[in-house]
Amino acid sequence: MLSALPEAISILLSLEGILVLMLGTSLGIVLGAMPGIGSTVAVAIVLPFTLTMSQAPAVMLLLAVYAGSVYGGSIAAILINTPGTPQSAATCLDGYPMAKRGQAGLALGWATVASVCGGLVSAVVLIFAAPQLAAFALEFGPIETFALILLGMTCIVSVSTGSLIKGLMAGMLGIFLSTVGGDPILGEMRFTFGNWQLFAGFNLLAVVIGVFALSEVFIRASAPISNVSELVTFSGIELPRWSMWRGRLRNLGKSVLIGNVIGVLPGTGAATAAFISYAEGRRSSPNRAGFGDGEPDGIVSSEAANNAVTGGALVPTMALGIPGDAITAVMLATLTLHGITPGPNLVQENPTLIAAIFAGFFIINLLLLPLGMALARVAAPVLRIREGFMMSAIVILCALGIYFVRGNPFDLLVMGCAGFIGFLLRRQGFPMAPLVIGMVLGPTLELTLRQGLILTDGNFLAFFTDSPIAFVLAIAALLALMIPIVRNFRTSKKD
Amino acid sequence: MPPTITKLKQESVIVQLLLLITAIALYLSTFKQGFTDAEAAQSPMFFPRIILMLWIVLNIIGLIQSVRHSNVTNPIASWWRILLVIAVTCVYVNLIGSEGFFLPSMVFALICLPLFGIRNGVLIVLFAVAVPGVLVLLFNHMLGMPLPTSRFTHYF
Amino acid sequence: MFKKIATVSLGCLLAVSSAGAQDFPERPLNLIAPFNAGGGTDLLLRGLAPHFAEAIGGDVFVSNMAGGSGTVAASALQGQRPDGYQMAYMSVTVSTIQPQIKNVPYGIDSWTPICSVAASPTMLFVNNDSPFQNMDDVVSAVKEKPGEYVFGSSGPGAITHLTMVSAFAGLGIIDDMKHLPFQGSGPAIKELTAGNIQFFGDTELLMKRGDFRPLMVFNKERVESFPDVPTAAEVGIEPPLNELYLWGGLFAPAGVDADVTAKLEAACEAAIASDGFQEFAANSGTVLNYRGAAEFDAFYREQYEANAALIEAAGL
Repeated sequence: MLSALPEAISILLSLEGILVLMLGTSLGIVLGAMPGIGSTVAVAIVLPFTLTMSQAPAVMLLLAVYAGSVYGGSIAAILINTPGTPQSAATCLDGYPMAKRGQAGLALGWATVASVCGGLVSAVVLIFAAPQLAAFALEFGPIETFALILLGMTCIVSVSTGSLIKGLMAGMLGIFLSTVGGDPILGEMRFTFGNWQLFAGFNLLAVVIGVFALSEVFIRASAPISNVSELVTFSGIELPRWSMWRGRLRNLGKSVLIGNVIGVLPGTGAATAAFISYAEGRRSSPNRAGFGDGEPDGIVSSEAANNAVTGGALVPTMALGIPGDAITAVMLATLTLHGITPGPNLVQENPTLIAAIFAGFFIINLLLLPLGMALARVAAPVLRIREGFMMSAIVILCALGIYFVRGNPFDLLVMGCAGFIGFLLRRQGFPMAPLVIGMVLGPTLELTLRQGLILTDGNFLAFFTDSPIAFVLAIAALLALMIPIVRNFRTSKKD
Repeated sequence: MPPTITKLKQESVIVQLLLLITAIALYLSTFKQGFTDAEAAQSPMFFPRIILMLWIVLNIIGLIQSVRHSNVTNPIASWWRILLVIAVTCVYVNLIGSEGFFLPSMVFALICLPLFGIRNGVLIVLFAVAVPGVLVLLFNHMLGMPLPTSRFTHYF
Repeated sequence: MFKKIATVSLGCLLAVSSAGAQDFPERPLNLIAPFNAGGGTDLLLRGLAPHFAEAIGGDVFVSNMAGGSGTVAASALQGQRPDGYQMAYMSVTVSTIQPQIKNVPYGIDSWTPICSVAASPTMLFVNNDSPFQNMDDVVSAVKEKPGEYVFGSSGPGAITHLTMVSAFAGLGIIDDMKHLPFQGSGPAIKELTAGNIQFFGDTELLMKRGDFRPLMVFNKERVESFPDVPTAAEVGIEPPLNELYLWGGLFAPAGVDADVTAKLEAACEAAIASDGFQEFAANSGTVLNYRGAAEFDAFYREQYEANAALIEAAGL
C-alpha cells in the first residue's frame, strides 16, 4: 500500500481534491460548532452530494466533514457549555470553567492543538500499522469488550464532580434509560408500556442535547437577566506557548494512545475514549488537582483522545470491512455504491484508493489548525450578541439537529423532557457527564454481559479465567475504582 | 436557618424523593409485565433490575445526605420567567411534528426573546422570522432534507 | 406575512379539494427510509429517487425515520393520509415479521403495496478455515457435541436470525445449538472471522465482506455466482423453510386511490428499468426484482403467512 502513496497524494493535491478537503473540513467545523448539530447530521447533509462524486473524493468529503465536526463540537462545548455530541461532553468539564475565567481563546487553543496531535498520530498509525491493529481488534470478543466497558464505567467515579453518590445515581439513570426499548437478546419490549414510539428506546443524542444544551438554557433563564452583551470574552484562538506544555506532554501522549486503541475496537467509539482518557488524566496527570475547574490537561485528555478515535475507527473499517462506528458505516456503504466491496481484500484490490483515504485523513488533520483558527475569528462576533438571541437560537438549532438524527418528532419531546429533568438535577448538583457515560456504555455492557453468559453457559467467573485480556482489564477497572476512593479517603483524613 | 435556605433544602429533598418514587415504581413494574421464561440471567429484566436496585440504594443514601446537610442551590431569580421558558420550550418541541418547523419556531422566538429581556420589537420580529425562515429555506428547498411542514402548505 | 400565509394556505386548500388523480403529483413525493442515512436501504432509495422523479414528472425526496428495526417509521406512516405522497421502503422484516412479534399499530391489512424493488436469497456461510464443507458435516458435528456450536444473527427477529432458524430447525438440530445475537451484521461478521461464532447467514453481498464459504442458499434454484452451493431443498429442508429472501419494496398506507396507485406503479417500473438505476444496482450489488402492485400484494400476503411458521420455529 505504501508504494501507492505517491499516486494517492497526486490525486489529493489535484484541484478537486484540495477543494473537497478544504470545504469539507470547514463545513464540518462550522456544523459541529453549532449547538445541537453533531457529526451525524453533518454527514447526513453532505451524503447526497457524495452520490454524484467519484470514489476517492466522495469518501474524502465524508471523512473531512466527520473529522471537522468532531473538532468543531469542542468549540460549542468550551464557549457555551453546550456539546453537540456525546464525545465533547468530557471537554465541557474543564473547557467551560476555563472560558468563564476569561481564557476562552486559550482553552480553544489547547483543544485545537490536542485535536490536531490526536488526529495526526492516528493517521500515521493508520498508514503504517492498520493490518496489525485489525488483528488485535479480532482478539476482542464479547467477553473482552465487556471487561473494557466495565473499565469505561469506572470513569463515572472520576467525572462525578461534587458528589460521588449523585454522580453514581446519574450514571444509573443513564444506564436505565438505555435499557428502555427492545431487549437485545430476546427482542421483547421493556418499559415501553405499550407505546410504539418507545420501541426504539430513548435516542442518545436527544437525551444528551437535552441534559446539556437545553438545561443550560433553562439555567440561564433562572438567573437574573444579564445586560452584558458578551457571553464570554473571546476574540480568537490563542495557541498555548511551548513553555506551557512543560509537564503536560506525557498526558497528551497517553491520551492519543488511549484514543487510538479504543478507536480500533469496533463498537466502542469516541465518547468512550474521551471519558476513559479524561479519567486517566485525572488519575495520573501532575496537574490532577485542578481537574474540573478549568485545567488544560482535562481539555487535552478529552480532545486528543476523541480525535484519535477518528483514525482508529478507520482501521477495522478498511482492514476488515467492519465499520468502527456509525460514521465509518456510512463510508463503507458509500464505497459499496461505487462498486467496491469492503472486506479483508479491500487494501490489496484498491491500494491507491485506500492510500488516498489514509493520506487525505492526514491532510484533513493538518487543515484543522489553520481552518479552526480562521473560522473561530470569523465566528467570534457571533458570541457578542445578547444572551436572549443566543439562547433562542440554541433551542431552535437543537430542535433542528435532533429532528434530523432519526427524523422522528418524538425525539424532540424526549429532548424537551430531558432538558427539564436535567435542569432539576443540575440545580441539585447532579453531574450530567456520568449520565452520558451510562447511556453510551449501558447497551454494550448489557449486550456483551449476556452474550458472554451465553458463550460460557452462564458461568460469570469463566469470563476472567478463560480470557487473559478480560482478566487484566477487570483488574484495571478495580484499581480505577479503588484509587480515587482511597485517595479521597486519605485527603479527607488529613483535613 | 433563614427561610430561603429552608426552601432550597426542601427542593433538594423533594427531587431526591421524586427520583426514589420513580425508581421504586419502575422496579415494581418489572414484575407486572409478562415475559417468556428464560434462565435468570437471560430474562429481559435481569439487567434492568440490577441497575434499578443500585439506583434505589444510592438514592436512599443521597436522600439521607440531603436531609442532613443543606445544599447550596442557586436561587431562582424569577419563578414565573423560568417556568414560562420551560413551558414554552416543551410546547414548542411538541408542536414541530404536527404544525411544521417554521410557525412554532417563529412563535417560540416571539415569546422567548422578551422573556430573556430583549425589548427591541423590530429586532425580535426580525429574528423570529429570519432564523427559522433561513433554516427552512436551506434545508427544505436547497438541501432536500425537509423539516416538517405545516398543515397549510408544503413550502414551510 | 400573515396575509401571505392566508393566501397561500387558501390556495392549497382549493388545490387539494379539486385535485384528482389526473393531476397527481402536485407536490413533492416523500420516500421514507426506515433506517439511518447512509445505510443500505437509505442509499438504495437515494439511488432510486431521481429516476422515480423523472418517471412521475415531479419532485421526489428521501427522508429517514430510523429506530425499532424499522417499526417506528412503519407505525408512523400507517396513520398518515393514503394520498400516495408518502411511501416507505419496507423490507420483509419490517412488513411481515415485526408486526407478528411486536405489538405495533400496523398489520397485514395496513398497506397499499406499490411495487417490489429488490430481492436477494440469503445464504448460510462459515469461515473459510472452518472444517465444515457441507451441511452433513454440520449436522453430524452438532449431534456429536450438543450445546457446543454457536450461530450468530444481527438481532432477534432479523432476516439473519430467521435464516439460521430455517436452516437448523429445518434440519432438526436447533435445540443443540446456541444463538448469539449482535447489533447489526457488521459485529456478527467480525465474530465469525474471529471464531466466536461458527455460522451466520445473510445475503451474498454481505457474505463477500469477508473470507467466507457458503454452505447452502435459500433460493428456489442454485445461484449463478455459486453453482456448487446446494439449495436448502436439496439439503433436505422442507417448505416453507427452504426459501428465504431479503426483499423490499414501496408501500403506501392502505386505501390509496386506484388511479394514483397505477401512476405510482408505472413510475416505479420505469424507474427500475431506467439505465441509470440499472447501473446503480449493478455497482452496488443489488439484485433487482420488480413486481407490480397486484402481484406484489399477493406475494406480500403469501410471505406474511409463510413467515408465521418461521416465527413459530424461532420461538419469538
